[in-house]
Amino acid sequence: MSATLRVLQKDLLIEWRSRSRTVALLSFAYTILLIFAFAVGPDSAALKLHAGAYLWLGLLLSSTLLLDRTMRIEFEAGAMEKLMLVPVPATGIFYGKAVANLIQLCIVGAFSVPLVFIVCDATMVEPFGWLAATVFLGAAGLAAPGTMYSAMIARLSGKQLLLPLMLFPLVVPVIVAAVKATSLTMLGDPMNQIGSWLTLLACFNLVYWSLCGVLFGRVVEA
Amino acid sequence: MKAKWELGVGLFGLLLLIWSHYTGLFVAPPEAMMGDVGRILYAHVPTAWVGLLTYLVAFIAAVGAIWTGRWAWDAMVEASVEVGLLLNVLLLVQGSLWAKPTWGVYWTWDPRLTTCAIMVVAFGVVLTLRRQIDDPMRRLTLSSVATIIAFVNVPIVYLSVKWWRTLHQPYSSPDTVDGSMVTPLRVAAFGMLFLATGFVVRRWRQVNTRLAIEVQAPDLPEEPKPLHVEESK
Amino acid sequence: MTGMIEGGWEFVWSVYGITWAGLALYAWHLYRHEKAS
Repeated sequence: MSATLRVLQKDLLIEWRSRSRTVALLSFAYTILLIFAFAVGPDSAALKLHAGAYLWLGLLLSSTLLLDRTMRIEFEAGAMEKLMLVPVPATGIFYGKAVANLIQLCIVGAFSVPLVFIVCDATMVEPFGWLAATVFLGAAGLAAPGTMYSAMIARLSGKQLLLPLMLFPLVVPVIVAAVKATSLTMLGDPMNQIGSWLTLLACFNLVYWSLCGVLFGRVVEA
Repeated sequence: MKAKWELGVGLFGLLLLIWSHYTGLFVAPPEAMMGDVGRILYAHVPTAWVGLLTYLVAFIAAVGAIWTGRWAWDAMVEASVEVGLLLNVLLLVQGSLWAKPTWGVYWTWDPRLTTCAIMVVAFGVVLTLRRQIDDPMRRLTLSSVATIIAFVNVPIVYLSVKWWRTLHQPYSSPDTVDGSMVTPLRVAAFGMLFLATGFVVRRWRQVNTRLAIEVQAPDLPEEPKPLHVEESK
Repeated sequence: MTGMIEGGWEFVWSVYGITWAGLALYAWHLYRHEKAS
């Protein structure tokens, strides 16, 4: 547990020290949103209807940048090998990194949500708590498998394309559930479905946070 | 080809498939609602069953590979993912061609077809990953992990797409099969099963051989002949 | 659903044709690798 916290602390410290890169990431998320708005056109009704989709597409694309970056720093200068020499269980490393990724994704989410409201002229019909829960659970659903896959790929030089290829089919349920839940908070939920979508997200997270923790050790040993 | 048991099994499957397809195409009656288009059933349903079964084999092989670290399991992962990919790509094409006359469009967000489309990418990535990694042990570990996760994800993706779909409109699919159609369907299913088994096992042997060569330690150099020194008188 | 769908044989032939082509191609792929090993 303490190992996890240490790794988490280390990662967040690294990210804090390279704030300019975080700014670049947020700019990327912002740009994607703008591009979507331009691609869809000035049809404000369409933008409003699909605001949830644009939010999550932006988050998904930003996540590939984030995940690739946070794992690459581990493999530069042989840092991972040195980390493995220290008697820290690999599971601890995984959870530390995954939580660090989760926090950063939540930051990108927190930044993107007001942007989406502005650009797409979205409204908040349901209480904000639902949206916050959706962003958190969705980000978690991206963070766990993303952390593991980025570890798998980081050592294959020049194979960054593999990360989205591996991650995207896996996180389809996350995107489906998160977009639906977000749209329901923005457009109204007459049949009280948000709860079921959040349950799906929670189950997905349960499965993958445990499974990836178990498999991570094997992945970095290889 | 070397004569091994899978050749016999595969050929037997081929015969079953030929018989059942012939029967399904020319002998069995047209389906109640779909007419002659319903004959696609005999090709499509067995492909679906065996395709999913092949992925299950891949999952089991991946677990075995991670557990034991032995190359035979790794070879089975590659063989079964390859054949599984073949079957599921065929499934997508068949499903699409079946959808056009029955539902009017080549693609609908039918949960099964959609899940299949996603899984083709997920398992295709396993093969891509295998080609990118040179180190055999790392290849074993990473491709097995990717296979395990891809398989575990199948029911989750299916359920989420199904939920997502039902919120829009219900879809119809042929679940009950008329009596006179059951026999050719069953035979076709076994035919496809045996043929796929033949494919997987033969491919497994090929990959096994290749892996064995790859992980062999290089031969020691020959012992140098003892030096023969002539005594000078 | 009003009545039975009429015709549509071109879809049936395409499906069977592609299925058998796919299986044949894979068998050939196996054969090629057999020669190599």
